[in-house]
Amino acid sequence: MTAPAATTHAGVTAGMSVRILESIGRTARSKLETIGSIARFLGETARAFADVRTWRPEVIGQARSLGVGSLPIGLFIAAFTGIVLALLASYSFSGAVPMYFVGTLVSKTVLLELAPVLTGLALAGRVGANIAAELGTMRVTEQIDALETLGYDPMAYLVVPRVIAGTLMFPVVVGAAMIMGIACGWMASALLLNVSSAEFVKGLRLFFLVFDVRYGLVKSASFGFAVTLVGARRGLRAKGGAVGVGEAATSAVVYSAVLILVLDAFWAITWLLGRDVTAS
Amino acid sequence: MNRRMNDATVGIAVILVTTALLASLAWVKQADFGHRRRDVVARVRDVGNTRVGNAVVIRGVVAGSVQTIELAPNGWVRIHMKLDRTVDLPSDPVVLLNESSLFGEWQASIEERNALPTDITVRKAIAEATGERGVLPGASFPGIGKLTEVAGQIAGDVANVASRVQTAFDDQAATELRASIKNVSDLSATLSGTVRAHASDLDTVAAQLRSAMAAINATAATVQQIAGRIDTSSRSGDLKNIVDNVAAASTDLRRATAQVNDLAGRFAKSQGRLDTFLANGDSILVKVNSGQGSLGLFVNDPSLYRRSDSLLVVLRSLIVDLKANPGKYIRLHIF
Repeated sequence: MTAPAATTHAGVTAGMSVRILESIGRTARSKLETIGSIARFLGETARAFADVRTWRPEVIGQARSLGVGSLPIGLFIAAFTGIVLALLASYSFSGAVPMYFVGTLVSKTVLLELAPVLTGLALAGRVGANIAAELGTMRVTEQIDALETLGYDPMAYLVVPRVIAGTLMFPVVVGAAMIMGIACGWMASALLLNVSSAEFVKGLRLFFLVFDVRYGLVKSASFGFAVTLVGARRGLRAKGGAVGVGEAATSAVVYSAVLILVLDAFWAITWLLGRDVTAS
Repeated sequence: MNRRMNDATVGIAVILVTTALLASLAWVKQADFGHRRRDVVARVRDVGNTRVGNAVVIRGVVAGSVQTIELAPNGWVRIHMKLDRTVDLPSDPVVLLNESSLFGEWQASIEERNALPTDITVRKAIAEATGERGVLPGASFPGIGKLTEVAGQIAGDVANVASRVQTAFDDQAATELRASIKNVSDLSATLSGTVRAHASDLDTVAAQLRSAMAAINATAATVQQIAGRIDTSSRSGDLKNIVDNVAAASTDLRRATAQVNDLAGRFAKSQGRLDTFLANGDSILVKVNSGQGSLGLFVNDPSLYRRSDSLLVVLRSLIVDLKANPGKYIRLHIF
């Protein structure tokens, strides 16, 4: 009686160990598959860049859809960001720091951080979700299969134009957002705060560097590249009808937002850290 | 149609945003498109915290901005500034770089050389930077940061010294210091006792001093009396007698002096003779020592001495015998 019980216990333990090992192996295989899938997707996208005749006619349409269509939301966000920044700066500086530093703070934060990142996050929702939903729908309705049957490379026809349009048009939207944010911060300072235009402009010019604009635009281009790539990949992997499309859109927004913040830190570390501000 | 619409829309958006961005940049950077501004160059040894874009001020009014800052040969730094064309520079302009606020802003002030502050360092720097044609001489003031840094270093040194004092002043040092203070206290008590003990002596000395002073006063009174008498004597003709007597005494003294001089001359001659005598004696002694002559042989020959001694013994016995028996040796015959 005792010997069979011990044998059973040993068998259960061995079975649990095997299941744990299987779980670890399955997780590792899944992660490696994801990495491999991403790498394959990036490779196919890069290869599709060579098919210029397929993607070139589509770029302008995507640029209008993703870029020009995103201008209102970008400008809207930037306008309120500028106003709030001016008010926050005024609230923080009162009595201790000269008020012309409101202009400095508004310009620096808008150019370096808020215009690229907030606009990028907004466009991650709008553009990323749009691409994921569009391509996901095409995938679940087998339109992509039809394209392949017709001899079109879906990467060159669907992904590359969106990536190019996003990479080129994000800086345009962010550039407009920069101007709008600073202009609205200026207006708020002049109208709502006790900061004259001359003071605001003095603060704006005091520590202004062309590098700040360059940094924000390059960063926003990287955001556009990442957001469109993530949206396209999530859309092309959509399965199972409307639910799958919805999940693809949601995950595209989430991954895009995370990637934007990661890239933001990446650029700050690689480009800002240790930089001599007097160099430019 | 739709395609052309897309192209136009995207093109307009891109051109508008790009133009707005460039225009904003040009405005913020105060770009000089119409060449409405002129270049002014200054050279300094150190720009401090001056940065591109800082204001250039003339008599407190912003007249331009710093365009570029570049290193130049021989340890100079060149500052290129853009100034409004309508602004006139002072007659002998110099550039001073200084802080315009406590928040790290600097400015370049163009001043007249005569209006420079009295700071010797600044004047020296301006004088050193003077000389290059078409370039304004400049100098920079130390910023708050530098002053704070120096103050921080001083504070650090003071803290270091305090730490060392704390390290050196341990329990043993405190005990030794306490013992030293006690010794000083004992010494002070001893000194106090000594002073008390000698207080009476000091009183005595003071009394003696007082009596001495009284004696001096009395002497002074006597001298005064003598002076009065001399005065009286001079008035009554006694002084002439005294002078005559002194003159006679002086004549006698002069005579005595001549005699002394004569004696001194004779003494000098006697001294010469004595020298000669001593020299002769010295030569005789040298000869005696070297065994020359009878005396030398006598002194230096011991056998001669012994023979002389035995001769004396014989002579002494002969004299004794002569005294005892004179007839044996002396025969007196009168006739």
